[in-house]
Amino acid sequence: MHSTPEIQTALEKYENGVLSRRAFLRRMGILGVGFAAANAVSLSPLGATKAWAAINGAEERAWNLAKTAAAKAAKKHLTLLIPTGSIGNMTPYVDKWKNELGVTLEFIEEPDEVVHTKGMQEAVAKTGRYDVMMPTAMSYPDWLDSGLIYDLTDWVNKYQPDIFHDEWGVVFPASHHAQLYNGRVVGLLCDGDQITLLCRADHIKNSAKAKAFEDKHGYKLNLPKTWKEYYVLAQFMHDPKNNFYGSLEYRSRYYSKWMFMQRLASKGRLWFDQDMNPTFNSPEGLQVLEDMLAMNQYLHPDAFSFTWSSNYNAFGRGEGFMNIVWPSGFKYSTAPSTGPATTGKIMATVMPADTLPDGNLLYAGMFCWGYGFAISKYSANPELAYAYAQWMTSPTISADAIPYLGGYSDPYRINHMLKPTPRLVETYTKDYLKTLYNNIVNTVPDFCLPGGFEYQDALDKEVHACMTGEKKPKAALDAASRAFDRITRRVGKDKVRKSWFALTENLAAPIKKATGRSDWKM
Amino acid sequence: MAPRKLGIPLAVVMGAGLAFTLFPIFWLVMTAIKPPIDWNASPAVWLPSCPTFINFLTLFDPDAIREYGVGGVSQSATAAVFGSILASVASTCISVCIGLFSAIGISRYSKGSRSTPLVILSGRMFPPAAIAVPFVIIFSTVSLIDSYVGLIAVYVAVTLPFSTWMLKSFVDDLPREIEEAAMLDGMTRVKAHLTVTIPLIKGGLFSTTMLVFILNWSEFMFALVLSYSNISTIPVQLSKYVTATAGTLYGVQAALAVLAMLPLVAGGFLIQGHLARGMTFGAIKQ
Repeated sequence: MHSTPEIQTALEKYENGVLSRRAFLRRMGILGVGFAAANAVSLSPLGATKAWAAINGAEERAWNLAKTAAAKAAKKHLTLLIPTGSIGNMTPYVDKWKNELGVTLEFIEEPDEVVHTKGMQEAVAKTGRYDVMMPTAMSYPDWLDSGLIYDLTDWVNKYQPDIFHDEWGVVFPASHHAQLYNGRVVGLLCDGDQITLLCRADHIKNSAKAKAFEDKHGYKLNLPKTWKEYYVLAQFMHDPKNNFYGSLEYRSRYYSKWMFMQRLASKGRLWFDQDMNPTFNSPEGLQVLEDMLAMNQYLHPDAFSFTWSSNYNAFGRGEGFMNIVWPSGFKYSTAPSTGPATTGKIMATVMPADTLPDGNLLYAGMFCWGYGFAISKYSANPELAYAYAQWMTSPTISADAIPYLGGYSDPYRINHMLKPTPRLVETYTKDYLKTLYNNIVNTVPDFCLPGGFEYQDALDKEVHACMTGEKKPKAALDAASRAFDRITRRVGKDKVRKSWFALTENLAAPIKKATGRSDWKM
Repeated sequence: MAPRKLGIPLAVVMGAGLAFTLFPIFWLVMTAIKPPIDWNASPAVWLPSCPTFINFLTLFDPDAIREYGVGGVSQSATAAVFGSILASVASTCISVCIGLFSAIGISRYSKGSRSTPLVILSGRMFPPAAIAVPFVIIFSTVSLIDSYVGLIAVYVAVTLPFSTWMLKSFVDDLPREIEEAAMLDGMTRVKAHLTVTIPLIKGGLFSTTMLVFILNWSEFMFALVLSYSNISTIPVQLSKYVTATAGTLYGVQAALAVLAMLPLVAGGFLIQGHLARGMTFGAIKQ
């Protein structure tokens, strides 16, 4: 938390030579400013005051707006609809808002799978009970189209949350996938949900295993770079007799689709073509299902019933060599209480690549889930609600908020990953933050489209049916394809197509090229 | 007839059946007294080595479980327990009272309209999810959303077909002649029903009350969609025990589930004589 007048004094004293650099850094630390930010400010050619004003600007503009809006508000109260389990990132600031602005923050927690439904319910009930809502990026299209939430673009232009800043903005392309709908800003991201690959470093560094692996496969035992290497490693490390499995990849309902989508993206395929025909019902999609089925024999036996937390717990108990998880999974496996067998033994890497028909490797990641703040149209204090959202997601406050335990927020801004605060480094490690950055720049979006949850569910149902042996790969993909066509027809092809074009406009260049998106014509 | 002696094969089969039936309850109780590390240990911990009441304490003091390194529990279950008791007791009383008089009315005085019982039953002929959103719209218009009055009204509406139909079957099985004899002795119709009909179907009344109470006590969907922050019930609260630091709090959920079972088990024991009678009432047709 940043006490502006005191920081201002410290900046002036430093610029006037009253404070040494070391004393300045110490003073800023006492005032709650992360070391990296303070260090960057102290070394900036602009001068400390200007540099501080730059990175701190979004927070300060939000705070000033909050002061003005709170002064005007008849009821100094904000109600937030948040998913259960996410409160820990927000509670540290409740007293500041109460004491300095007189604004009471009330949190209504709902199970994460219910937040979208609760929002749609509010769209018809119009009670005005919520001011700020914390859905995933997939909720924005349906919520905006149903008149539930504000288009934030005008506020964003006016108060500049620095979400597209090239030094401390939200990392591209997540900045666009998880905050925009049809090119307009509809939410402010507060959670960098992407999946990365974790491996057990102690097994990779085991000299006996390294030798055996190299003898068998002819290359060094290391983190997998491709899906083929991932498979070979899982096969090599799989030791079910000792309750140690090749990987803990999800095969359970609700999670299976992301495993499928990730592998499909690695093959240079998105979910639709430019005419909204599903693209997974293709040789690439079939190959992905075949690869997943082949992988099943090296998975943890609970893979078919894993929830996010039971997966993390099993990995933390040391029951697998690899795991594909959100950043919170890394936190779990490196904390002694949740990762008793894995603390200090984890290495991470970007998602494996696949080989394209032209022989090149394509690295792609999945930005899946990802909470953000949206502002209810029925809020009595929408400007105050927006100010809260901008303040919480500003480069400085978010860097402070993410490391708090008891919340889902994971790094999403450039400064979180490339200029992390000591607390961020302590929570995630410098190497993992770099891995997160390298992975997020290649992420493809989830179904952040009108009817997004329906598409997701239709795909998940069929992928899961295939994984359990209920359906053959071709039958599963045919069924998913038919379901997609039905959803598209019902929602309106033109409407979905317009937002699909807007969504996929922003992709990493290699992915844009590999998927053919660069050649699409509206 | 003298009771038959239980043979060994039958005893084994019945024992296995009993073990199978009681296993979920055993597992629930064990999970409720396990420390967090044992909740989903692999291999499973059947009997906790260090039994603890920390999960029960956490229900009413969310910070209690921090001593086990689990943070992020932010809600006490007190309001949910209170809400469940209020909503279930009130709606059960209202539903059974209305159902009882409807049952007597239909069984004894219905003339012509054979479809009345079916019309009442039609309220149960579509899935509750189909009426959840209309309820939200209507209740938000009349300011009944997020209120116990609204929740109780829905519970009564949903369980009334059960109470009416169940009680009607009990009243049907009671010979009319008994009430007529009471009326011949000078009782009014109402008095005859209050002093003769109702005491004679006491077993059925208890079993109906129990069933309706269970339906209300365990109801999830309406409580979820009709609540914001003013009201809560145990089934809704159960779904909220998820934290970012420990995932699903199985032990705390189990503790709340054990607490939720207690009134039903206690009530069942208290009225078990009536329940047995209620269940078999009318089994032999006259």
